[in-house]
Amino acid sequence: MHKTPMLDHLESGPWPSFVKDLKRMAAQKSEVNDLLGQLERSYREKITHWKHGGIVGVLGYGSGIIGRYSDLPEEFPGLEHFHTMRINHPSAWFYSTQALRELCDIWDKHGSGVLNLHGSTGDIIFLGCRTEALEPCFADLTAKGWDIGGSGSAMRSPSCCVGPARCEWACYDTLEACYQVTQEFQFDLHRPSYPYKFKYKFSGCPNDCVAAVARADLSVIGVWKDDIRIDQSAVEAYAAGEIKPRGGGAHVDKLDIQADVVDLCPTHCMSWDGRKLTIDNKNCNHCMHCINLMPQALRPGTETGATILLGSHAPILEGAQMSWVIVPFMEMEPPFDEVKDLGYRITEWWAEHGKNRERVGELIMRLGMRAFLEAVELPPVPQSVIFPRSNPFFFWKQSDFDAEAKGRKYYTKEGFDVD
Amino acid sequence: MAEERITDIGPPHYGQFLPPLIKENYGKWKYHEILEPGVLKHVSETGAELYSVRIASPRLVTTLFARDLCDLADKYCGGYLRFTSRHNAEFLVSDKAQLEPLKAELAKMGLPKGGTGHCVTSIVHTQGWVHCHTPAIDASGIVKSVMDDLFEYFGSHQLPAQVRIALACCLNMCGAVHCSDIAICGVHRTPPKVLHDRLRHVCEIPTTIAACPTGAIRPHPDKSLRSVIVNEERCMYCGNCYTMCPAMPCFDTEKGGVAILVGGKVSNSKHPPMFSRLAVPWIPNNPPRWPEVVGTIRRILTKYAEGANKWERIGEWIGRIGWEKFFEICDIPFTYQHIDDYKFQAYDTYRTSMHFKF
Amino acid sequence: MALPKDELVERIYKMVEAAQGKKQLKAKDIEKAVLKEYPDQPRNDIKFAIKELIDSGRCVYTYFGGSYIELPHEEGAAKKF
Repeated sequence: MHKTPMLDHLESGPWPSFVKDLKRMAAQKSEVNDLLGQLERSYREKITHWKHGGIVGVLGYGSGIIGRYSDLPEEFPGLEHFHTMRINHPSAWFYSTQALRELCDIWDKHGSGVLNLHGSTGDIIFLGCRTEALEPCFADLTAKGWDIGGSGSAMRSPSCCVGPARCEWACYDTLEACYQVTQEFQFDLHRPSYPYKFKYKFSGCPNDCVAAVARADLSVIGVWKDDIRIDQSAVEAYAAGEIKPRGGGAHVDKLDIQADVVDLCPTHCMSWDGRKLTIDNKNCNHCMHCINLMPQALRPGTETGATILLGSHAPILEGAQMSWVIVPFMEMEPPFDEVKDLGYRITEWWAEHGKNRERVGELIMRLGMRAFLEAVELPPVPQSVIFPRSNPFFFWKQSDFDAEAKGRKYYTKEGFDVD
Repeated sequence: MAEERITDIGPPHYGQFLPPLIKENYGKWKYHEILEPGVLKHVSETGAELYSVRIASPRLVTTLFARDLCDLADKYCGGYLRFTSRHNAEFLVSDKAQLEPLKAELAKMGLPKGGTGHCVTSIVHTQGWVHCHTPAIDASGIVKSVMDDLFEYFGSHQLPAQVRIALACCLNMCGAVHCSDIAICGVHRTPPKVLHDRLRHVCEIPTTIAACPTGAIRPHPDKSLRSVIVNEERCMYCGNCYTMCPAMPCFDTEKGGVAILVGGKVSNSKHPPMFSRLAVPWIPNNPPRWPEVVGTIRRILTKYAEGANKWERIGEWIGRIGWEKFFEICDIPFTYQHIDDYKFQAYDTYRTSMHFKF
Repeated sequence: MALPKDELVERIYKMVEAAQGKKQLKAKDIEKAVLKEYPDQPRNDIKFAIKELIDSGRCVYTYFGGSYIELPHEEGAAKKF
């Protein structure tokens, strides 16, 4: 075993220790011993010892395998090849122990036994596979019903929140939408043909537990259009301190309905007379604050669906963006054709015009929102902006004059009437 | 070549991994309670009750760890478990009688429960030195050090609101930390060194040039070298060129370090989602326990816990008191690095009103 | 005139071969180049011609900051240096 005096410091303390776990594995697999040895060296030298490969993969796919090689293969022969495999996770990361054990068996047989549950995009990440083991590992995975996830300039493995499986706030079936969209885009997930990565994420409500607004190019966030459902007797129970706020997850035990709920409502659409909570639902912006604080008294309405937002990505390259509203409300019922179709229209336009490594949000900044909306046939809607432009530099196209002559309400592309 | 290969089957359908109680109550959940930190109770319209016990996971695990979790799920949960979007594991208990024995066994195994309500839950993070080729810092080691220090907040609900911490080991931000209450971001601070002899063999020059977001890379004037030069004044050390071209390493073992950004969120509750903003531009990269990083985060968290109103996230607290007060209260110096001068978002951050404090 | 499918596969292979070591082609670059020569070639033909080249192992996907289609060659990072 390699000596790891620095890493040994990370064995103590109350948080579960990855070093302890890796050492257990190192007793069985020499490459994990080498992994600890190289990691110790990185701790000492404050530099990484990995090289990035760009070619290895399984036959037919351009996704899901990331080549990784140690720059110290003589010293750590177990790390000469140490490739990543991304395995597409099941919706909302549910497992039977049988399935999870099968994955463990496959990974013990073909790789290092080291993994991430889960990667940032959502996949199960196997860390440390030799080139010649990739194909046999892939064959064993597919035989058990698993497939490889996305990487590179491809559709990435979509992910979703726990949704209707265990949450009363889910405004649509995030698990099924995620599954169906993943199946729909298998070709593009495994065969990179986009300018850069493209991520779908499905959150069931505006709490956005999978961070769709920040981490998905196409963010599908559940929402309701009708009235928040109220159980007035439960509201009174909260007011009386009989039910703890926020399900009991807060630092206070008693809710002050006026101060904690009504006064903090961002649209001031609520009032409380000491007995009855009134909501002016037409002015509610469905922020979820009141519902979060009183889950036994308030629930989203029943006319539900999703808002589609587009464009988020981390700061590389043009600075971080969050997704912005492009479709305020879409019905979300199986087979989810509308959201699949929108995905195709967006990725086709982006693939046609995008530069290498340009995310769709960046392309829209470069070519303009109008070019995008016209190309994917979406009408301009006020929900998509916080406020309209403040400058007078807006331009007119012949199609605007034509539409105007025809007496249309909105000046949009020919053949695409939205009034 | 002709053998039958199975491809493009996608992930298995989640339906086969749902415990029977969830299948029966799918879409019928009525409300939930958090019985204690880490223990959730979901109640269905049918009256059925599901108990979930959430535990910490290092995310970087082995099959031994996964099998341990399977053993527990077999014993107490009918063979089902799940993971959360923040890398926690959850045991789904359909039989209430199993709850206490499960909790006892988790305690015995040193698997802490928590991560619910007004807590600091697991840190979403990247690979770091254990697997990445461009990291400025390690990931798992810093996460372990920070969570050891903030452990009291994982298994309690004592903060004004939930605090989401995320870590990205370089500014490519695979961890997409840009909307986190506290973001730990590895930063390189030196421009790439061009290895001319190697570059012409391993890199495509047009792609390498195109990789630079600031246009700092140009073809080498000496065409016979078939290499590139870097305008170092324009380089912001993103490492993108290195991702394209391994002959341009930009790592300096002493100058690399950690930046801390604060105040982001993704939920829409009260205020819209917010970006994290730069709090500390550089902290030394100090393995194995990163005491300076741990100390800075504790200081920010403590000041937030003291100063925030009920229900305020870190970004909402700072928004109310003003950033000038945040820097003063947390005793963090304000530097040139804090003022945005990158691309089109910069102007939106400059104050154009008299609404500020001394 | 659109090319018959097997000729299209060979045309694309030649394109990748000619670019090898000079320019890395993305799937979209190939599609655009084919459509320039054969404007009425269905896009789906091009998509599946590329798939055929990849499935047969004659071409491979590579990733160097973006995903490309190239002839198989030894991985630079796999070499010791």
